[in-house]
Amino acid sequence: MDMATGEFLGFLHLSWQAVAMLVIGGVLMWLGIAKKVEPVLLVPIGFGCMLANIPLGGAAEADGFLAILREAGIHTEIFPLLIFIGIGAMIDFEPFLQRPYTILLGAAAQFGIFGTFLLAYLLGDGWLHVLNFSLQDAASIGIIGSADGPTSIYVATVLQSKYTAAIVVAAYSYMALVPIIQPPIIKAMCSKEERALKMPSVAGTISQRTKILFPIITVLVVGLITPKATPLIGCLMFGNLLRACGVVERLSLAAQNELANIVTILLGITVGGMMSGTEFLRPETILVFILGIVAFSLDTVAGVLLGKLMCVLSGRKINPMIGACGISAFPMSSRVVQKMGLEANPYNHLLMHAAGANVAGQIASVVAGGVMLMLVPMFI
Amino acid sequence: MINALWIVLLGMAIIFAVLGILLLVMVLLSKLLKPGEKQEKKG
Repeated sequence: MDMATGEFLGFLHLSWQAVAMLVIGGVLMWLGIAKKVEPVLLVPIGFGCMLANIPLGGAAEADGFLAILREAGIHTEIFPLLIFIGIGAMIDFEPFLQRPYTILLGAAAQFGIFGTFLLAYLLGDGWLHVLNFSLQDAASIGIIGSADGPTSIYVATVLQSKYTAAIVVAAYSYMALVPIIQPPIIKAMCSKEERALKMPSVAGTISQRTKILFPIITVLVVGLITPKATPLIGCLMFGNLLRACGVVERLSLAAQNELANIVTILLGITVGGMMSGTEFLRPETILVFILGIVAFSLDTVAGVLLGKLMCVLSGRKINPMIGACGISAFPMSSRVVQKMGLEANPYNHLLMHAAGANVAGQIASVVAGGVMLMLVPMFI
Repeated sequence: MINALWIVLLGMAIIFAVLGILLLVMVLLSKLLKPGEKQEKKG
């Protein structure tokens, strides 16, 4: 009987945590498949979660394949970096290069990271001690505000946060919720007149040499000032150089498709495998999710505030709404702003301006991740 | 607590500094490589 219960009757070992996690895994897969919410990630994450919580299955235990993947890809930080090569190859930075000032909107929108970090630390070891949030945990929770899954994984892993799985799931799920989180905040901060503000269209194209030099210069500037950001910005810009240089189309396509797809599968199922009931079902996990919404909201508020300032300083040539695209949730927030602009004025096409701020936010979020990695160890 | 505040202040300052430098470099570069290429017109 011992052998039978040990090897065949896993359901006899089901704990309430395992049942709850199997349901959560199912919900994630349902969201991905039925509701089309970030299916590329939520389907593998949900499935990995299910595998990790089958009693006696051993998939996520010491020698299980999910544990091996976690060790090889997450603990070594390889998966998020490889994903960044693919993302870099997918992004066209031209809208940003035509409007380089949008990088400042990207910078402002990173306030969500730091504001949420402060809040998490206040709730944890910093003041109230309500929850078990160390400085590293608070920084890792704040990084959800980068609106960038790979950066969140990278920072949380390097800082060895206890809540990496929750942080990653929150980061990816909230990206899909940008169309729900951002519009009410933008509407509350921008009058209809401001939302209807048309922006001058930019004529002319960016030279091929500029496109090629851009990733190289970005790595040098960012890497030399914030060296901790070098792996992230390096991989992102390497991917972009493959795209921009025009002589390695095969590699560029491989990075955009095969590499990105394979690593996404492995990353998704591995993150799901990190969602074991005992690690995931804690009061802190709920707080991580709430703080994730706070982070996205603060990002939006800070971006729009700088957008409003730029609007005034530019003589109303900049629509303040594009500040909301400073978060790197590309292309969701660009679409949100384009839609809101058209609602306020049917002739107001803001998409390319918003996309400029959006890809600028991608660079800014990586810099913010590097800055966090640089500063946190200095203050421990 | 003070440490956390320092991280927030320094963090935002460094981000603006790094990206500000990148902005300057890119503006200079685009002017050097294609002077007068970018013309703005009312949309």
